[in-house]
Amino acid sequence: MDETMGVGGRGRAILLLTVLAVLTVPIVVGYLWVIISTFSQRTYGLIPVDANGHPGGLTLRNWSFLWKDAAIWRVTVNTFVLAVGLTVGIVVVSSLAGYALSRISFPGRRPFLATTLVLHAFPSVTLLIAIYFVLRWITHIPVVGRGIPVIGGFGYNTLGGVILVSVALELPLGVWLMKGFFDQVPWDIERAALIDGCSRLRVWWEIMLPLIKPGIAALSIFSFISGWNSFLIPYTFMTSQEKSTIATYLRSLLSDTAPVNYSTVAAVGLFQLIPVMIFFLFTQEYLLNIFSGGVKGGS
Amino acid sequence: MSEDIARMGQCKGPNRLLDHLRRAWGPFLFMAPATILVLIFFLAPVIIIIGISLTNMSSATGFKNWAWIGLQNYGKIFRNPKSGTIFRNTVFYVLVTLSLFNVGMALVVALLTTHVPRRGGFLFRSLWLLPRITPSVVYIMMWNYIAADAPYGILNRHLLTPLGVKPTNWVPAQPWAFVILTNGFIGASFGMIIFSSAIESIPRDYMIAALVDGCSLWQRIRYVILPMIRWPLLFVTTYQTLSLLTSFEYILLLTDGQFNTEVWSLWAYHRALNNYWGNFQWGFGAALATILVIVGIVMAVVYMRYFQFTELVQEPRIEAL
Amino acid sequence: MIVKLEHVTKKFGDVVAVDDINLETRDGEFVALLGPSGCGKTTTLLMIAGIYRPTEGVIRFGGRVVNRVPPKDRNIGMVFQSYALYPHMTVLENLTFPMRLKKVPRTEMLQRAQQVADMMGIGHLLDRKPGQLSGGQQQRVALGRALVKQPDVLLFDEPLSNLDARLRLSMRAEIKRLQLDLGITSIYVTHDQVEAMTMAERIAVIRDGQLQAFCPPNELYDQPRTLFVASFIGNPPMNFLEVEVVADGDAFKARCPEIEIPVSAERGRAAAGRGKVVMGVRPEDIYLTRDGIAGEVYVVEPLGRDDLVDVRVGDVHFKTLVDPGLGLKIGDQVRFGIRPERVQFFDPRTEHSLLWN
Repeated sequence: MDETMGVGGRGRAILLLTVLAVLTVPIVVGYLWVIISTFSQRTYGLIPVDANGHPGGLTLRNWSFLWKDAAIWRVTVNTFVLAVGLTVGIVVVSSLAGYALSRISFPGRRPFLATTLVLHAFPSVTLLIAIYFVLRWITHIPVVGRGIPVIGGFGYNTLGGVILVSVALELPLGVWLMKGFFDQVPWDIERAALIDGCSRLRVWWEIMLPLIKPGIAALSIFSFISGWNSFLIPYTFMTSQEKSTIATYLRSLLSDTAPVNYSTVAAVGLFQLIPVMIFFLFTQEYLLNIFSGGVKGGS
Repeated sequence: MSEDIARMGQCKGPNRLLDHLRRAWGPFLFMAPATILVLIFFLAPVIIIIGISLTNMSSATGFKNWAWIGLQNYGKIFRNPKSGTIFRNTVFYVLVTLSLFNVGMALVVALLTTHVPRRGGFLFRSLWLLPRITPSVVYIMMWNYIAADAPYGILNRHLLTPLGVKPTNWVPAQPWAFVILTNGFIGASFGMIIFSSAIESIPRDYMIAALVDGCSLWQRIRYVILPMIRWPLLFVTTYQTLSLLTSFEYILLLTDGQFNTEVWSLWAYHRALNNYWGNFQWGFGAALATILVIVGIVMAVVYMRYFQFTELVQEPRIEAL
Repeated sequence: MIVKLEHVTKKFGDVVAVDDINLETRDGEFVALLGPSGCGKTTTLLMIAGIYRPTEGVIRFGGRVVNRVPPKDRNIGMVFQSYALYPHMTVLENLTFPMRLKKVPRTEMLQRAQQVADMMGIGHLLDRKPGQLSGGQQQRVALGRALVKQPDVLLFDEPLSNLDARLRLSMRAEIKRLQLDLGITSIYVTHDQVEAMTMAERIAVIRDGQLQAFCPPNELYDQPRTLFVASFIGNPPMNFLEVEVVADGDAFKARCPEIEIPVSAERGRAAAGRGKVVMGVRPEDIYLTRDGIAGEVYVVEPLGRDDLVDVRVGDVHFKTLVDPGLGLKIGDQVRFGIRPERVQFFDPRTEHSLLWN
């Protein structure tokens, strides 16, 4: 007997696992190839081969970009700044708004909630064209536009601008999730804190945030991964090479006019994927939670 | 008593004003950052995009010499011979990906992973989540390599050549198959997670009752599980329809709309922001996007209605501020 | 501190949760708000705490109108049914939290926390987290946290409901003793009449948001002003039957189709000539006797010290407490009498007492 909800013999479990395995083949094969190819001169299918097409040709040369191409570290730092910026932005803004929407009765609360929910389902990519104009406009604002160190500012063709857009577009999801997590905190605890002498801001900071740590962790992981991976927004709104992120750098490797060295591209890809994978391994349970948690709030 | 009332009246004036301010500003402080972002990056863009769609703005006119042209862009869309094809492409792409993967495969994987030993189920669910957390560029490159021509392609090398099929690069040969596969393998994970947690939260009593009644696995799925998860099913269907309709990142990376795989959202993107010729037709692209925005808003509102927004919202049980 | 509620009403949308309640405590008094769940007693308490705002009416603390005073400025301590300890803080941090917010100097803070902890017998638990404590210990910490700020008013929201029966008994006595020693005005919400009766100096009975009675426990028991109070207070509950009271010379009799019950003149007079009225008889006021009303034992429920016996007379049932030594069995024929000076009468329409208004 298996320990899941189903009942049935060991035989059936094996049958079902086999079906699952077959369905999952493309995923496994794809990632297998990524790993193999980064250590090969080239690959024929999944088989590493040398320049003449004979099996063999294992090499570390594909990884030489790590020490030969200074650009990779620059784009890595950019990507990291983007991911961290997105995470911090999302967590701060949505935990503030989520708290108010979940816990405070104020005029306009219901319209706010309805808006959040509509935006939650709203296809934000359709707005990229208009956001382009908004960013160009922000660029003209002194200092804020393009005069801030590290992130460059919040205008067009700055890291800050990309962070801001990403935060905004992920905000409805974040707010809705945070609201869901705040909803679960017992009212009596907050009441006790108010009676003990807290203002609402203090309750939020000293009592509520510590209590929804798992939710914050989940949202942070989710945001970090999505920032680390994000392609479309940096690709659309950052044109200069030196500000690009790993994803756009990768894209530029692929679309260069010179013949593409796929093994190198795969290595850069794996380089981008590794932190996410490690992250994922340790936090997959949180992530699985966020998706299902999001639905409890959203359905 | 009358003295009391007088005293109450006294403290009402300034107190009430202060009180009012505090009640108005307290929540505003919490809501301000989110509100500002929503205004700048949702509301303003919606207005801008509708506005631009009524102009002839393009990289030819620049930002200075454009003119209002009313609904001409929309007229152009309807007269454009490509519109019909791209519309059909979009519908085809959304329906097939949705039914085969985002709902179909998601349900199959969810059912399978909830009916095998826990650890196995968890492993497979994690594997299916991998594509979603993989950088899109890497993910698409992986598929490119699966489909690549001999001698490199995995499909050719390990499956088709042994079967005697003539090798080719399968992305141009079967562009839709690969557009749907690439999007599907990512889209499936969303539904999979929601369905499997819904299935796992079905009270055991129902499952046991079904067993006692002698249901086969299939009957159990048909008469117990599916009816119990019809809300998540509906939710995933509507939500994913919307996201398939408007997202184009993976198509952009895989075919860039070549081989007749242009869909509506990608068309808008190409016309307005990203094309080979550097001729950005902001007005026309905005009109294309506006159509999607309207579809999106309508669907989002319907979806909100359908999922009984009011029931999700509990009233705060603290009134003090 | 005197807490006073004047015409306090609370509406949630169209639902009236609390309906025009008037109540005034004495300084240092222990008042219980008693009623079935959903009657509005917790809402009333939360309005006193400042968590909810009254829709109408005025709440005063020692004369000062506090309607718009936020909870943190009311100097109250509150103990919740769910304890509501901060799970991410240790016991010590929980105890010092209110003082930290008031910026009490550190040494004084620690000293006061230690003092309260010793008083509550939780001195050895200071570095634990609430999750590591038993229910009883958690409730002591919660009580300590409420006391440590030296509040003017103590509020209790069913603090003992989550404890097991034995613990509830000992905590009950402890809270009462503590309240007496400290002399802090206390308002205690409960649905358990025994708790209210044993602890409170006065009990406010609330039903459907309305105040039914506000008086000392014995008065509540002996002189119930409404049918609801009579039925809610007392365990086992009062027997009710519909009767007509008639004067028979100087004597009065309560009559229902098959039975005639003599009642005292003083009580009978108030109910006579009113047609059908509801008579209430407490189980302990029914006694077995040789020459009384004849009935048949319908059910026997042993309670240990007494047997709770249901005696059937025609269609009417009387519950009474009987010495188990008699060994009554189902079907036995018995005769019983009712103490004529102890019966209650109510108007069946208004449900008000005919004796105590």
